[in-house]
Amino acid sequence: MIVVKDVCKRYGDFTALEDISLEFSNGLYGLLAPNGAGKTTLIKMLATLISPSSGEIQYNGENIVAMDQRYRELLGFLPQQFGFYKNYSPAQYLFYLAALKGISKQQAQVKIDELLAKVALSDVKHKKMKKFSGGMIQRVGIAQALLNDPKILILDEPTAGLDPKERARFRHLLTDLARDRLVIISTHIVSDIESIANEIIMIKNKRLLYKDSVEQICETLRDAVYETTVDFSQLDEFRKRFVLLSEKQEYGKMIVRFIHKGEKEEGWIPVQPQLEDVFLYEYQDEMVEEL
Amino acid sequence: MRIVLLECKKVIMSPVIIGLFFLFTAFNLLVIFNSSDHKDELKIVNEIIDTYGREITPSSLELLKKDIQNDLLELEQLTGKRYDSVYDFLEGLDVEAYERYSDKEKTFITQLQLKEMYESTASSIDENYAKIDVEKLGHTSLEMYKISGPAAKTYLAENEKFAKRFDDMIQNEEHKEWFFAGKAYKMHTYLFNNIFLQMMIEILLLVVLSTAFLATYEFEQRSHLVAFSTRRGRKLMKDKLAASLATAVAISALVLGSTLGVFFMVFDYSHVWETSISSAFNWEYNFPNVAWWDITVGQFLLASIGVLFIGVLLISVLTFAISILIKNSYVTFFVVAAGFILLYMLPSFMPHSSNLLFVAGYTLPTLLMAISGLFMGSSGMIFFKNFEWVTIGVWTAITIIALFISFRRFAKLDIQ
Repeated sequence: MIVVKDVCKRYGDFTALEDISLEFSNGLYGLLAPNGAGKTTLIKMLATLISPSSGEIQYNGENIVAMDQRYRELLGFLPQQFGFYKNYSPAQYLFYLAALKGISKQQAQVKIDELLAKVALSDVKHKKMKKFSGGMIQRVGIAQALLNDPKILILDEPTAGLDPKERARFRHLLTDLARDRLVIISTHIVSDIESIANEIIMIKNKRLLYKDSVEQICETLRDAVYETTVDFSQLDEFRKRFVLLSEKQEYGKMIVRFIHKGEKEEGWIPVQPQLEDVFLYEYQDEMVEEL
Repeated sequence: MRIVLLECKKVIMSPVIIGLFFLFTAFNLLVIFNSSDHKDELKIVNEIIDTYGREITPSSLELLKKDIQNDLLELEQLTGKRYDSVYDFLEGLDVEAYERYSDKEKTFITQLQLKEMYESTASSIDENYAKIDVEKLGHTSLEMYKISGPAAKTYLAENEKFAKRFDDMIQNEEHKEWFFAGKAYKMHTYLFNNIFLQMMIEILLLVVLSTAFLATYEFEQRSHLVAFSTRRGRKLMKDKLAASLATAVAISALVLGSTLGVFFMVFDYSHVWETSISSAFNWEYNFPNVAWWDITVGQFLLASIGVLFIGVLLISVLTFAISILIKNSYVTFFVVAAGFILLYMLPSFMPHSSNLLFVAGYTLPTLLMAISGLFMGSSGMIFFKNFEWVTIGVWTAITIIALFISFRRFAKLDIQ
């Protein structure tokens, strides 16, 4: 079990994370927040690449930094920007990383073949990676994270560059993997984790906002999400009054999905809140800033 | 070990480093072959050593003189005229007349000419060395380098020690051994200055590039987040250091091996390895090369190679320590190059009256750039007997401290 205890991360005057406390046991966790919220900082701390300014992270009661390679040998990590050796083939690169992970030559050969088949790259295992598409590179990244059959699998934006078919295939893979290990996926794409995560972690204003199941998080917007039809002429006014979650054009009118915490008005249809609704609601300010 | 080998493979797969290696090797061979016009003339020394022994004794010199007289008789039969020296014959000879002789006769004339030259130099050794006053030369050097104050005192104290060594060397007759004529061929300068300096610069370029390349590889390929989060973690840097040192040794051995291999195939040193480096024939310029110790040409070569290896390894480690901080191979290369040049020029910024003038010379660049003058008491401002081992000792300590600081910093560094 991983325990994040009162962790803060500061860079000079800038605070990236404040007072984060979390617990992870086996299962799949989705770390959901917009870009720049501090997801990658937390992920890098879990991968021992950066150290907390205060607080600590423990694995089974022991500080992960002190555990050193005993911790990292349990870890599989795919960073957001997965760097690779352009002039190496996937087989060569995975063979190098297998050495860094302490896997013997013989075991590595078998494991590499198995993983490249799993990510559908067997046909190009000896081709130089400089010719690979973004999706193929990402699949090499996923394969390397699984090389040491990790007990803790941390994936930072793992679906970047994958096409819809590959995403679906990847979700199945993760569901299988999460059965007997701890998987943490950091993403800002709700659909990547909504259907597969046991728990969702949301960070807002550098602090932990939620750590709960999808259902429980959606409960926070119970009786507050509606859909209604609005004339185009009234749309601007409507936008000013409510937090709009989505807009869809149909038969010359707009069907809007929005949040209202108060009395229901006529013509509004209450709908079941989704994780995306919570995401859009909670991070509306950050999104306006991003725009 | 497996990781170290996989790291070394990265250098082998680098087209820049491999390309430069072949370019440098080709250039070295070209330089050697272009300067090999006198290689056959050098063989006479091997014949002299074979016939009269390596040491120049009155009896062996007498034998050589007798043989030269016999050769002059043969020359008389050839020319029909008696000459006291082959030079007298050559003086009155025009090109057309010379061309009338057969190749065999021409070879005989050249051989005789060379024998006379070596005999003449050997006969005048005592006379020439008697003219040398080391202490007086010390004062001349002070004026030449404009050294005064405490620096002058230090210089003269060391010069006094050297004067004693010079007397001992004459007493031991280390200088009375056959070697290639220094004034005519300058083989010591050619090998230990031109060729060694050229190789040293090439090796340093390759080693600094390959070390910086390996140390910064993960950051430049953006694979650092994956590599340093594996089981090996930041200890990967230790493997990279080991790989850098192994590569530095391999590069040095390959450049030295290929270049010196060809050099000694072209220039036959087979009979002079045991000759003292302080031989009177190893007198090329105003003052003969005189070593602080009684060492042979072979030992001097091995010691020079040893110093080059140590220097290159120390610079490799320093480059590695700097690379960890800079994380960019090309910037590291320019920082190391700038540091090398600045350290080499350091003595020129020092006051000529202060001992700092000499202290500033105890640097790796000065050591490596002065290969031909190492272990010599006749090597100007770095003639101090302790120069080599103190420089190596001090810079080994500096290098270890720099590496320790760099590794400690990297162990705590946030890898972004």
